[in-house]
Amino acid sequence: MIAAIDVGKLFELVWAAALASIAVAVSFSLVMIGAARAEDCRRNRRAGSATLYAALSIVAGVVFIGIAVFAISVITSK
Amino acid sequence: MPTGSDVILVIVVVTALAFDFTNGFHDTANAIATSVSTRAMSPRFAVGLSAVLNFAGAFISLKVAATIGSGIVDAGAITTTVVFAGLVGAITWNIATWWAGLPSSSSHALIGGLIGAALVADGPDVIDVDGIVEKVLVPAAVAPVLAFAVAALAILIIYRMVGALRPGSVTRGYRLGQIVTGSMFSLAHGTNDAQKTMGIITLALIAHGNLPSDSFDVPFWVIASSAAAIALGTYTGGWRIIRTMGSRIIKMDPAQGFSAQASGAAVVLTASHLGFPLSTTHVITGGVMGAGAAKRLSAVRWGLAGNIAVAWVLTLPAAAVIGGLVYAISALFGSGALGPVIEAAALVAVIAVIFARRLSQQRVVAAQG
Repeated sequence: MIAAIDVGKLFELVWAAALASIAVAVSFSLVMIGAARAEDCRRNRRAGSATLYAALSIVAGVVFIGIAVFAISVITSK
Repeated sequence: MPTGSDVILVIVVVTALAFDFTNGFHDTANAIATSVSTRAMSPRFAVGLSAVLNFAGAFISLKVAATIGSGIVDAGAITTTVVFAGLVGAITWNIATWWAGLPSSSSHALIGGLIGAALVADGPDVIDVDGIVEKVLVPAAVAPVLAFAVAALAILIIYRMVGALRPGSVTRGYRLGQIVTGSMFSLAHGTNDAQKTMGIITLALIAHGNLPSDSFDVPFWVIASSAAAIALGTYTGGWRIIRTMGSRIIKMDPAQGFSAQASGAAVVLTASHLGFPLSTTHVITGGVMGAGAAKRLSAVRWGLAGNIAVAWVLTLPAAAVIGGLVYAISALFGSGALGPVIEAAALVAVIAVIFARRLSQQRVVAAQG
């Protein structure tokens, strides 16, 4: 029965799933942090910081969408 | 003039589509329960979106369809009557767990039903125990534990990162995110689970001689009808299980819902990518518990979690016992169509009574409310 368990594949699943989940959580949280801080900076008339935070939000959004597109490609290639 | 085997084939196709319906009905909760409970989507919009994505997902790929039962039951033991008995075992277990409001794996129920029927038909030699360990038991043990740990880690990171932001914008943001993660789950579910029904119907068509046995080409009408059945089941919505998953295990906020869904989708899709079969039900349930326990251990209703675990352990043997029993009763009537016809009629009658009772209970609740 032990032979039926592919330990290497199991280990890969554990770290890859954890990495993917952290990537999704971090990228989407950065979208929100960037958007919220940019709004705060605009309100306090700090245009430079607002632009930087907005850029952070956009880059994180692109990463989040990239992960979603990769997920769809995994689904379609199954 | 149709022969007895033609009648059995028709019954198998209808029963397979009925299983597909219960699969959508039963597993809707996997994709949408957290989105509904955190008000990321209205219940009707959530089941509608999930139904559309399940329908679309069924057309995307056919690779899973060719693997049904392979490596678990000897292909030579798969007859139309064995398939019929296996399907009845799976449908019966799905309805029983839906009635109890407990999420359980429809795929494991189907595998259990087939194992039981094949065991009674041909004895233990046709069962591949290593295949069961590799494809059912190990994934069943890994899926909820991994999803639990990953979701717990994700929610701790999320709380750490957005803890200083205004609660209103955090709530709105994660509700939006849940629309994306819930959609991913629905699409993955449609791609994976509708194909099991396609595989079952195609196997029956091959066993009956309607399709050549040297290739595995799924006819378009099989794809379309399987997609429609799972979408219809999804749209009907198994609200009992949605309630359990969405609000009875933990009371969740949108960040927890997002974390459970995102981690669940990450685990399911990573497993898919590596060719490791995991149950979406086990994954999302583990994810919900992990997202709750990381905030506060006592936030999870562990008694209910225990009941769910018991249902998971019982799924394979219970569906196997029912599948075996259905095959044995069918065999009492000989090898013709009479046994399956009587059993199919009995199954339809039992399901009609259950749904009629459920509807009358809903009317009483509505009248009292």
